[in-house]
Amino acid sequence: MTLYLVKRIGLSLAVIFLVVAVLFSLLYLIPGDPATIALGPRATPEAIQRYAEKMHLDEPVWMQFLIYVGNALTGDLGVDVFSDRPVTAIIGERIGFTLSLVFAGMGWAMLLGIPLGCFAAVRPNTWLDRVTGVLSVGTIAVPSFLVSIWALLIFAVHLKWLPAIGAGEPGELGDQAIHLVLPAFAVGLSWVGYLARMVRASMLEVMGETYIRSARAFGLRPRRIVYGYALRVAILPTITLIGMGFGGLISSTVFAEIIFSRPGIGKLIFDSVMARNFPVVQGGVLVATGLYIFVVLVSDLIIAWLDPRVRESL
Amino acid sequence: MAKDLGPDAETLLDIRNLSVDFRTPRGRVQALRDISFPVRRGRIVGLVGESGSGKSTVLWSILGLLSGNAEVTAGEIMFDERDMLRLGEPGLRAARGEDISVVFQDPMTSQIPVLTYARQMFDILYRRPNLSASQKRRMAIEMMEKVGIPDPESRIDQYPHHFSGGMRQRAGIAMALLTGPKLLLADEPTTALDVTMEAQIIHLLQELQSDLDATIVLVSHNLGLIAELCDDVVVMYAGEIVEAGDVRSIFHDARHPYTRALLECDPARISDVSRKLPVIPGDIPDLTRQRHGCIFAPRCPRVEEGICRTTPPPDARTPGGHARCHLLEGPMRDPDWPPPHDVVTVGRGAIPKAASESTARDAPLLDVSDLNVRFRTLSALRARLRGMDDPFVDAVLDVSLSVRPGETVGLVGESGSGKTTLGRTVLNLLPAHDGSVRFEGREIRNMPEARFKPLRRDMAMMFQDPVGSLSPRKSVRALITEPLQIHNVTGVDLDAEAQRLAEMVRLPKPFLSRYPHELSGGQARRVGVARALALNPKLIIADEPTAGLDVSVQGEILNLMADLQAEHGLGYLIITHNLPVVRHVSDRLAIMYLGRVVEEGPAEAIFRAPLHPYTQALVDGVPQPDPDRRRTHVSITGEVPSLLNRPKGCDFATRCPYAQDRCRQEKPPHETRPDGRKHACLFPLN
Repeated sequence: MTLYLVKRIGLSLAVIFLVVAVLFSLLYLIPGDPATIALGPRATPEAIQRYAEKMHLDEPVWMQFLIYVGNALTGDLGVDVFSDRPVTAIIGERIGFTLSLVFAGMGWAMLLGIPLGCFAAVRPNTWLDRVTGVLSVGTIAVPSFLVSIWALLIFAVHLKWLPAIGAGEPGELGDQAIHLVLPAFAVGLSWVGYLARMVRASMLEVMGETYIRSARAFGLRPRRIVYGYALRVAILPTITLIGMGFGGLISSTVFAEIIFSRPGIGKLIFDSVMARNFPVVQGGVLVATGLYIFVVLVSDLIIAWLDPRVRESL
Repeated sequence: MAKDLGPDAETLLDIRNLSVDFRTPRGRVQALRDISFPVRRGRIVGLVGESGSGKSTVLWSILGLLSGNAEVTAGEIMFDERDMLRLGEPGLRAARGEDISVVFQDPMTSQIPVLTYARQMFDILYRRPNLSASQKRRMAIEMMEKVGIPDPESRIDQYPHHFSGGMRQRAGIAMALLTGPKLLLADEPTTALDVTMEAQIIHLLQELQSDLDATIVLVSHNLGLIAELCDDVVVMYAGEIVEAGDVRSIFHDARHPYTRALLECDPARISDVSRKLPVIPGDIPDLTRQRHGCIFAPRCPRVEEGICRTTPPPDARTPGGHARCHLLEGPMRDPDWPPPHDVVTVGRGAIPKAASESTARDAPLLDVSDLNVRFRTLSALRARLRGMDDPFVDAVLDVSLSVRPGETVGLVGESGSGKTTLGRTVLNLLPAHDGSVRFEGREIRNMPEARFKPLRRDMAMMFQDPVGSLSPRKSVRALITEPLQIHNVTGVDLDAEAQRLAEMVRLPKPFLSRYPHELSGGQARRVGVARALALNPKLIIADEPTAGLDVSVQGEILNLMADLQAEHGLGYLIITHNLPVVRHVSDRLAIMYLGRVVEEGPAEAIFRAPLHPYTQALVDGVPQPDPDRRRTHVSITGEVPSLLNRPKGCDFATRCPYAQDRCRQEKPPHETRPDGRKHACLFPLN
């Protein structure tokens, strides 16, 4: 187990290192002087000079890379080109908005999608199963930015039930929660479909296993068989999917964040790319990658916790 | 528990006129037709039949757990004055696990892998709210102790994969008996187990039955198991009962031609060793069609067209039993039927002349000497962290073996003995650590695939799983000629070749356009044989060639292999755990235990007088299809040790009834006797 963790963390670090290298080389692969690229075409020569010194642009490339890595390890991801504020602080302000959106979106998708998949699998080919099947494919097929726009138009513009844009007043949790509803709905909707389909498929497979027949032959209650036996095995592949989904959502919430003007990481990266604010792009992508890897690791550990066979093979 | 209900309640379970249909895309399959038999308290009733006989359907009907497309069209199942068929789901659920419990066929798949035994057993006891958690735990531990699981206090908190196959089945029996059910159903309880484990489980069931005075319905295709355990026997064929009676009358005085044929086909029963086994020609009838008269008539050697098309009367001569055959009653009645015990009523075909004598002095086709195959158990890093110098296990240890042209060598061992690993290594599918494998004198061990490929034409493999080893998307024609295409054989007409091979394995021509899922087990086997023969090999390695086949069909495959051998002078290496079968077809046997050959020699001599105690245990472990030869003791106890901690001395010392101190200290070397028999035992038996 310890060895497994050490191995996994080592692998994670290798992936992050690779991402850093790619991000770093981006600056040099784009033709032109990195300082000009970083500051944009309208930068003054003084600004370029100042930037070059600060970014150690007079050092050899490998040295610059080492400096960047060293700084990143100590939590210093550079400074915003325009505001001069540390990137770490900017990301720190925004990360909460993204994480709350991801958790809320995936959370409601899990709460609805997993039971729906179970119901559909326990009663295959009934109307509930068919409706679930059609809805799953429907929600998967509709892109989340479309859902966002429609949700915004219906619930915010026409019905005026919920606020349209922003993330709520800072410090007011109730207001922030209300602002979270529409984006979370939009982000999670397709995941309801994914999870329902995934759970249904693996539940159907597990319900056909001999040990489920054994449980029935021992007279166990149907509820216990479905949730205590079948789901416990069937959920394992779904957990991997959820883990990857969490990771993916951290960066793919960008649509919802733009449409609902939420100050999250996705929107931050998007805005910084548009403004050629490269230190922020680098920092944002790095943090998103780190979170992705962390979530996948956690999902693997949850599987190990649930399945003794996996646990012992670690 | 049975005694206090009074003598008038002697019948616990009474199945009357049960008929069950399955709705399938091919039409309605009449899986059971008019099944009636009683089960008396305290008796063990055996339901015996081949696949498709409907014996499992009877079992699941009792519990109301038939699959969704099943429909009970008639009958009643009276259990304790209730009709199980009209009980409804809540009533059935109350009865399942409490009044009627089940021991399942395959303990590897019938126990949920992610819950501990403690959890699984608590769950079964959920209907006992007046018991505290610690009382339930104590009950579970006591039951595990009763079924012979050592150290139950700690093992109860383990998961199924921590248990070996035999221990899992013991746990399965403990779970079934936990609630003290009135009726125990056992569905092929030993089929998934090795011979020595099977013997132990049979013994356990015998003990428990006399202890608890339990009533058991045992479903099996294994005649030996039925003879060993049962008081009454019901013989089923294609959804009908053809004969029923007490165990002695069935095994000693079978009166239905099917029962008779089934007993004659069992290789464990046939005492005269012959290359040819008796078979029942034909296939089980198509149950979607309406049938008239005797169900067995199309395959019966005594069939008479007119009379056998009418339903035979039930003839009740033995107490409580009956047989349905026109030979016993009416115009066809034959006073000489059934013939005496030693007369064989079913054919076995011409016996080919033994090829082995003429070729005994030939140079060996395959010569394996001192072969070692090792598997890594831990990565190099982990091994170092745990301070292990040698993170390997010896799956095959110092094995020497040879196969001559025209000779059949049986490689016998239980699961984990390394027999399949050896087969794969010979075919260069696994790398060997050291030793040598010679094919026609040429060293082939670890030969690079590019150089080895031409040799593959001379060595063919028959795989264990006949259907699984065939690509489901290819027709039989394509499958049979696949080896020719792999080896780029040009200048042959593939269609003609496919027909030639199909003819050779007696597969009718229309089958060439079929796909694997449309084949029966025996037909799929024949496709496997045809594939193995496609390139005219000299050596065939057959991995469990009869596994999963019914007794009436396995003879066909073995006879076919014998004919082909006589015709082409093939050498066979047959890898199997099935001793009765291998006895008939092998010239020589090699017995493997924990990766080592413990005994090797002529098959007939090994069966007559085994040298190694393990061989003796294997020979004694086969349940005999004769109720008068029931065993009273288990000749071998314990379990196969893990390869990870191979015993210091003789590998078998931990289980050997004759083991002495020396056996636990030194590894016995291979010794060759003057008569050519080899063994690895310090104190050989004979």
